[in-house]
Amino acid sequence: MAEGKLRNITYAQAIRTALREELKRDERVLLFGEDVGYYGGVYGATVGLQKEFGEDRVRDTPISEMAIAGVAVGAALAGYRPVAEIMYVDFLAHASDAIVNNAAKWRYMSGEQFRLPVVFRSPGGGGAGYAAQHSQSLEAWFAHIPGLKVAAPGLPRDARGLLKAAIRDDNPVVFLEHKAHYTFKGEVPVAEEVIPLGVAEVKRSGKDATVVSWSKTLTHALEAAETLAGEGIDVEVIDPRTLQPLDMATILASVGRTGRLIVAHEAVEFAGFGAEIVTQVVERGLDLLKRPPVRVAAPFVPIPYSEPMERFVIPQPTDIVAGVKRCLG
Amino acid sequence: MAVKDRERLLHFYEDMLRIRFFEEQVRDVLYPQRLFRGSSHLAIGQEAVAVGAVHALQAEDYVISTHRGHGHAIAKGLDLQRMFAEIMGRRTGYDRGKGGSMHLADASLNFIGENPVVGSNTPMAAGLALAAKLEGNGRVAAAFLGEGALNTGAFHEAANLAALWSLPVLFLCENNLYAISVPLDKSSALQDLERRAEAYGIPGRRVNGMRVMEVYDAVSSAAEATRERSFPSFLVFDTYRFEGHHTSDKQTYRTQEEALEEFRQRDPIHILEFEMIDDHTVPIPTTIEYRDRIRAEVDAAFEAALAEPWPAPEDALTGVYAEGGE
Repeated sequence: MAEGKLRNITYAQAIRTALREELKRDERVLLFGEDVGYYGGVYGATVGLQKEFGEDRVRDTPISEMAIAGVAVGAALAGYRPVAEIMYVDFLAHASDAIVNNAAKWRYMSGEQFRLPVVFRSPGGGGAGYAAQHSQSLEAWFAHIPGLKVAAPGLPRDARGLLKAAIRDDNPVVFLEHKAHYTFKGEVPVAEEVIPLGVAEVKRSGKDATVVSWSKTLTHALEAAETLAGEGIDVEVIDPRTLQPLDMATILASVGRTGRLIVAHEAVEFAGFGAEIVTQVVERGLDLLKRPPVRVAAPFVPIPYSEPMERFVIPQPTDIVAGVKRCLG
Repeated sequence: MAVKDRERLLHFYEDMLRIRFFEEQVRDVLYPQRLFRGSSHLAIGQEAVAVGAVHALQAEDYVISTHRGHGHAIAKGLDLQRMFAEIMGRRTGYDRGKGGSMHLADASLNFIGENPVVGSNTPMAAGLALAAKLEGNGRVAAAFLGEGALNTGAFHEAANLAALWSLPVLFLCENNLYAISVPLDKSSALQDLERRAEAYGIPGRRVNGMRVMEVYDAVSSAAEATRERSFPSFLVFDTYRFEGHHTSDKQTYRTQEEALEEFRQRDPIHILEFEMIDDHTVPIPTTIEYRDRIRAEVDAAFEAALAEPWPAPEDALTGVYAEGGE
């Protein structure tokens, strides 16, 4: 694909670009959440949007996650395309009734009478010293719910393109951002780009091992791949970009080339999403594997506050390097 | 009584009978014959609230209901046969057999559906009302809720937001005195339920939920105010469920005498019949004709639904996601 003009922007700016473009494109797109209006979001992802699109469409809400998510579901049922921001992934626990019980199921349990074009944006992840209640990675919770789609972009370009697709999708999408990643910069096309949900991308080609990773950990995986390249180990890095739908074909094809699978994510390893990927590879492509798969993920503890402990718990590039070497044997 | 009022009253009477006989069919035929799964929450005793409230709304207005929603659905005009078919799990039911008694919905009639997660429908009503307000289409969103739902966080978040954003929501609270087994005086710190939205600047009104015209008048004026001012209203209807929480409820938390006495004193259908007969709106034989006719209509709907096809097992795998988008 011929690349048009690119610009180097942050992950937060990429999110903001997508929101702005979609607010402009479709009057039915609404944006609301805590501090998203006047303040522009606690991470600056909605700066200036209220000023540009007005208080009717870009609304500050009270601290009422149940209402924020529930209002979004109601407005979607009435034909709007709301984007609700839940300030921290951890607070999705409050909003989960509307997301899990209502948004995810209303279409199915009504015999397909309704469409639910709603996006729940929420930053997760640790690394910023916010401790146990503001640092979780909960993608597996939501990927486990039939009726939801789940996106977890790691690069600004994907954040922008996937968010646009999520807003245009007629199904509820849980759009997981990473709070320690909002200032991360990357190339994003100036021209409009919509990246379809459910299509993985090979972020780096390699022949020795396949590393599957998403969200901020993807950038750790790319860093680890560079380190390993210096040691003559050629790693392929795949970003599924969305966990539901999940593009297993791309992952299996890569494992077919490399024979080795490492899944790296920030969430707790036990019952984490890596288990799903490993299982599917084993079920559908055991003969492709030269070695047992390896997961690089957090131990079974809450995220601790103090920096040495937090860095120890959250997978770092060095942990992925070690994981790849473990897999290579 | 003016002809128009008489017609309206008879129409209400008809719909109340429709709900009563529908629910009796569920209780007396479907339940003992195990024609439905899970449980069904009957609205016997609460017909005047459903009929008076829903008929005070416009067809375009949204209604979002609760686990005890058969009455709201019937008042909103849902088809009895398709309701029976859904409750009996048939492919031709409202939800293609995927929802059942607690998830009846008809998008074409703006009956958004029942939401059996207590309190969970109130923020959704605020969202429907937000859409109506932005659209400027003059619709209101009516959420039914039980007195038990007044204790959920969802209701309080929704009430605050609806008032803050000036949204056309009607919170219609049916106080049937019991949250499953827990009586009102053990669930609400404040017994003046109509005051429970006062903190959000929403004045409440307490209404006799057993008199259909009182419900109708109260909801009519509340709906008009809500529509004109684009501001929520909160009404509490005192009512009673003569049946258990659901069809399998042993009702150990209240005496049979209590339920029977309530029925003797407060049955909304008897109250309406006595009134109509007393003021010569209708003679006694007419009420009997109405009863026979509606009973036959409900029976016919049930018989027709009984003959409808089951879904294929693998139909379970479809309809999770909508195709496409913008």
